[in-house]
Amino acid sequence: MDEMRVSGDELTGQRVRIYPVTRIQGRADIEVLFDPHHKVQEARFRALDYRGIEKMTLGMSPLRVPAVLSAACGVCGPFHRLASCMAVESACGAEVPPAAASLRELLCWLLLASTHLATITYCALPDFALPMSDAAVKNVTGIYMVDQESVSRLSRAMASIDEAIRILAGNRFRVPVVLPGGVSRLPAPSAVEAASALLASCEDDLRETVRLAEMLTRRESRMMETGTPLPGHYLCSVTDGLAALIGSGISAAPFSGGEPVTMSPAEFLSAIEAEETDWSFLKPLRVDGLDCQMVGPLARVNMGFGQDTPLAHLERGRLLEQWEHPLDSEFFFLMSLALEAVWGWEKATRLLQAASDGGPECWTKLQPAAGTGHAVLDSPRGTLAHQVELGAGGAVADYRVMSPLQFSYRTMNKHLTSVAARSVSGIDISEAATARLQLAVRSFNPCVPCGTH
Amino acid sequence: MYISSVALGACGGCEASLLAAGEPLVALLSEHDIGFSSLLVDRRTLTPSDVVLVSGCVRNSEERRLAEEVARTSRKIIAVGTCAVYGGVAGLRRLELEQGEDDDVLPRVFGEAEPLDQFMSIEIYVPGCPPPTPILFETVKAVLEGTPPERYDTTVCSDCDRRVIRKGPARAVSLRTGPAVSDDACLLNQGLLCAGPVTRGGCEASCPSAGVVCAGCRGPSDAILSSQLHSLYSDMVSFVTRTTGGRREKVAAQLDAMLDVIYSYTARDPVAMFKVRGKVPRG
Repeated sequence: MDEMRVSGDELTGQRVRIYPVTRIQGRADIEVLFDPHHKVQEARFRALDYRGIEKMTLGMSPLRVPAVLSAACGVCGPFHRLASCMAVESACGAEVPPAAASLRELLCWLLLASTHLATITYCALPDFALPMSDAAVKNVTGIYMVDQESVSRLSRAMASIDEAIRILAGNRFRVPVVLPGGVSRLPAPSAVEAASALLASCEDDLRETVRLAEMLTRRESRMMETGTPLPGHYLCSVTDGLAALIGSGISAAPFSGGEPVTMSPAEFLSAIEAEETDWSFLKPLRVDGLDCQMVGPLARVNMGFGQDTPLAHLERGRLLEQWEHPLDSEFFFLMSLALEAVWGWEKATRLLQAASDGGPECWTKLQPAAGTGHAVLDSPRGTLAHQVELGAGGAVADYRVMSPLQFSYRTMNKHLTSVAARSVSGIDISEAATARLQLAVRSFNPCVPCGTH
Repeated sequence: MYISSVALGACGGCEASLLAAGEPLVALLSEHDIGFSSLLVDRRTLTPSDVVLVSGCVRNSEERRLAEEVARTSRKIIAVGTCAVYGGVAGLRRLELEQGEDDDVLPRVFGEAEPLDQFMSIEIYVPGCPPPTPILFETVKAVLEGTPPERYDTTVCSDCDRRVIRKGPARAVSLRTGPAVSDDACLLNQGLLCAGPVTRGGCEASCPSAGVVCAGCRGPSDAILSSQLHSLYSDMVSFVTRTTGGRREKVAAQLDAMLDVIYSYTARDPVAMFKVRGKVPRG
């Protein structure tokens, strides 16, 4: 933990830096600012890297851009690739064949389940399973020593889903099968059969994971102070008012309760405004009409699942019988990851059964020309938007990525400040308070590489 | 042994690929001590370690400080991923920035990515974007067990099941991004610029198998790295000439216009770039 004097005019107190924030994707710190009386003035999460990947695409053929942007994030890369393909297709006015759209959606659901299982195993579970342990134990190896079966179960489910993705997409991390215009190939019947068998083998492990998450959530909710509900709105892609990954609109509703408002993707994009900060490389995104918003697993769980995923729907109902809707506390993070892993698995299983129904066409040739395009979808970590402008000759003239962490950033910092105000006393931040602040950050499931593209 | 992992200017894909190994990795790590890994443990200081996995390249002053600290505190360094080995996609970055002093608020951003080799002595290189999970896991396992890791000195073509037709139907190559027309013919034969012949193997040709060109994410093959007579460019010219039956000069002229694609993962690598100095456009 570093301590330093603040040189700004408006701040005359001190700041303490918690660096690095651990068990999150990417490098960041938490800075706690104190007033001259050593009371917490503000706590803020700061990203320490700027990558400039949007700028790399300028002047490039739009057909190459999805492959470059898939390197925007190592975990959410496939979603950036897909969002970029969709934005380019929209700019070119192209329609993707139904079978290709179906395979893309299937891959999204599989990737959602796989990503969440990895997040549970390595990042989230230690906070819930070993909340009071020290750093030497409070990690995946510590859990493995006391509960090998849980790690084995998560690992088995993750391996099966990853292998299904590999069979269908060629590569778990790059999903090369997804191209501007569609997909490079549709799965052969033997591939569908193999992937179906792999998914079927996960069911028991996923059910047990939900049970474990529920048990730990119940325990944690009794242990943790709950006086800091999440502020602002929860926001995600929706279809017919229910959470979706590739939806027809975007809905937001207040954590304090109330009816959701729904926007079309175009309305949503026109309502977004990026703010500049001089203390972080992340640019928070403000959505006109909302004070601040949270995106990601908890937002989607609050928005609700359809009857077409009976297990996820049932488990969500059980959760809401114990706690009121909307779920507005960070200790629901683990449960929302587990619920969404089941949701993704059920959706993928259903889509896989219909994988060969879409017809033989898998790709449309694109003719890049001057124009603009966009795509809004939900990635595992929340709402993700891409906007492209093609200049004369069809080359990229402007590209804009709006990532989940940018959408959640203002809510995260507001929440972090209220958590710090309750848990930090004096400028010597205790290990317990540090752990509490980091838990607050992790509950937003932040992906720094996405945020600092 | 103490094992650590440090992500510099990275996207997180290399770590995600390693973690995808699941229980075997957790079991292996349980037999050792994790010194530092911001993704896995809550320790905040870099402690001296026997084995350190470093991913990403150096793109700002904080990463440079971290890289120097890794160099001071590590016994054996494994460079993980193409960004760490060759600069990777991050090497395409050319930012016009005001060159100021380091400040105490945010790290100073560099206009270009700096290769890891400038800062530390690397023992093992595991390229790939990200490196395939089995290769990465087996390398870590071998190093922790004190045995030499397997060396993948083949090319992507040797992993690929597609059939090469000498002097096939395509008369030219293009950057067409569409899928393969044929399920079993070599992508070069189909007129697609596939970097498989010049790229290190070990990835099971996952992209060509899915009907998509190899983009060269595993970096140059041993044949190119070990000889002054070979470069990504010259070898691609030879392979395309052979598979299309076109005239060498014509093929070379075509590939001249595609150099930024051929070198998209190695634009910051001094070895790869030395051989084509002056040919590859610079930002």
